[in-house]
Parts: sequence; C-alpha cells; structure tokens
Amino acid sequence: MRAPMILGKEKLIPIFAMVVLLVGTFSAIYVHASQIEKDSITINSQEYTIDQIFIIAESMSIETDEGVKSGVSLMDLINQVGIGCISCNEYTFKAKDGYQQTVDFEILKTGILTDYSRVYFPNTAHALWVRDVVEIEVK
Amino acid sequence: MFGSLWGFSEVILGSMIADAGYPSGGLMTGFFVIPILILTRMIYRQPGMALGMGLVAGSLRLFNPFVGCHICSAIAIMAEGAIFELIFYGISADFKELKSMTMKSSIGIFSAYIIFVGGYIVTQILTPIVAGAGFYLENLIIFMPRILAAGVLPALIASLTVPLVISVRKLDISIKDKIYYPTTLGITIVCWIVVISSWAVLAA
Repeated sequence: MRAPMILGKEKLIPIFAMVVLLVGTFSAIYVHASQIEKDSITINSQEYTIDQIFIIAESMSIETDEGVKSGVSLMDLINQVGIGCISCNEYTFKAKDGYQQTVDFEILKTGILTDYSRVYFPNTAHALWVRDVVEIEVK
Repeated sequence: MFGSLWGFSEVILGSMIADAGYPSGGLMTGFFVIPILILTRMIYRQPGMALGMGLVAGSLRLFNPFVGCHICSAIAIMAEGAIFELIFYGISADFKELKSMTMKSSIGIFSAYIIFVGGYIVTQILTPIVAGAGFYLENLIIFMPRILAAGVLPALIASLTVPLVISVRKLDISIKDKIYYPTTLGITIVCWIVVISSWAVLAA
C-alpha cells in the first residue's frame, strides 16, 4: 500500500509550529550576537561621544505627547558636524538593537537628541523616537 | 462584545503592561488575543467572526490616548483578526483535529507566532507612512530578525493557554437569552465608555 502523498493536518501543524519556533529562536540568537555595544554615536562616519555632541550643538526642548523633552537640536547637530546642504538629505537613525527609522529634513529639523541617546520629534508616531541611537547615517 | 473586550484590553491593560516595562504585545497576544479568538470560534463556530472582532477592537483602539500612532495600531489589530481567519480557514469549526495535546499546543504556537509577527510587520510598514516619514524597505529588512525573535514569547505562552481554552469546550457553558443579550450589551457599552472617557480625561 502506498503512503499518502499529502501530509495531514495532524502532521503539518506540529511541523509548522516547530519551524516557527526554530526561526524565532535562531533570530533571537542572531539579534543577541549582532547587538552593538558602544557609548559613542557615529554621525556621517565620524565618532562622537554624547558629551562632545552636547558641546558642539545647541540645547533645545520640545513638547511631545509624553511631556517636555530636552536635548540638542538635531538640525544644529547635523549642521555642526559639517554636512553640506542639510535639507537635501535623508537621515537614518540606527539603534543598537538593529531598529532604524529614516526621516527627511522637514521632520529632522523639529527633533532633538537626548543625553540618553534617544531622538524625539513632536507630533509624530513614537515609532520614530528611536532609542539607544548608535549611528546617524546621512543619505 | 468580544471585539470590544479585545480593544478595551489592548488600550487599558496593554498600556499598563507597557508602562511597567514588560513586552505588552507578546503578553497580550499569548494570554489574551489568541485565547479569546479561539474561544469565540469554539462557542459561535462562525467563520469571519475574528475579522469582525478585529474591526471592532481596531476601532476602539482609534480612541486610545496612550500612543502616538492610533491608526496604525488599529490597522495592526484588524490585520491580526484577518490573519487568524486565514490560519483557521482549514480547521473545522468544532476543532475535531485538535484532540491531542500536541495538536492543541502546536496550533497555539503557530497561530500566536504568525499573528503576532504579521501584526508587527503591518505596524512597521504603516507607522512610518502614517507619520509622514515614508516607508523604507531596508529599515524593515534589517529589523526582521528582531520581529521574528519577538514572536517566540507569545508562541510559548499560547502553547499553554490554547490547550487550556480548548479544554473549556468540555464544560457546559450556557446562558439564557434573557440574560445573555443585556449582559453582552452592558459589557460592550462599559468597554467603550471607559476607553472614550480615558481619552477625554487625558485630552482635557
């Protein structure tokens, strides 16, 4: 007697469950291994400590739906690190866990970077408030 | 009523869990969303009901005062309802396939993982678009390992909660119509009033 060609649900569902658990577990291992640990922030391929950033850029406070947040002006920071034509570029904020979000100049100019390496923008989704920023890539 | 309960829990309970620093999405999906979707499927045996519940829960989420992007969270919840429908399309309404403990746990793991990861991806796509920043595929791709890893927690929780919920089938739960309709209507109204009033209080 020939074996059935198609696996039944009784076999497929446990296999699918195993597959998703394996995918999730290996992803967790990868995330843990690829996490970036550093105290400085790379801006346009140059390293800056938070202290340096707070010296070169002007401080600013903004009102968000979570209250007033203080830090340095992102527009001034980008200006101070020597990016030409800051309104011509897009800016990707990369976190140490791999999360990243890209904003244009119109959003960037409203934002701040705090002394705990988090960016805030007023009146935007919290998804853009990248925490533990390790790099600001200029595109 | 179940859609309102889902939305209410996402807004009130989910926000409290997140404020306490715990992974609210994973905990809510494993402990609440999957069990309630399976329970309603078991009781009412109505394909499409999860989608309807997702629409109601998503609508309630639109009134959520605790997060910045209301519409994308709402759409993510609606997507979760739709993904549940797709997964359970091939499963009979009385869950006769899910007799063994292995099958009950497996369907819990698979459905929770796919629903959570699917909803997460939908949010990652919609949020930047709604926020006006635009969607960048590379930002999603580079974050995919994190999303895939985050699905393990709700999957493991659902491997325990789903068998528990399916075992409820053996209990005889019956409520007379005279009590059922006023009760469900009352619960639904309370859910909506609490969410809308919490929004109004914070907005004031």
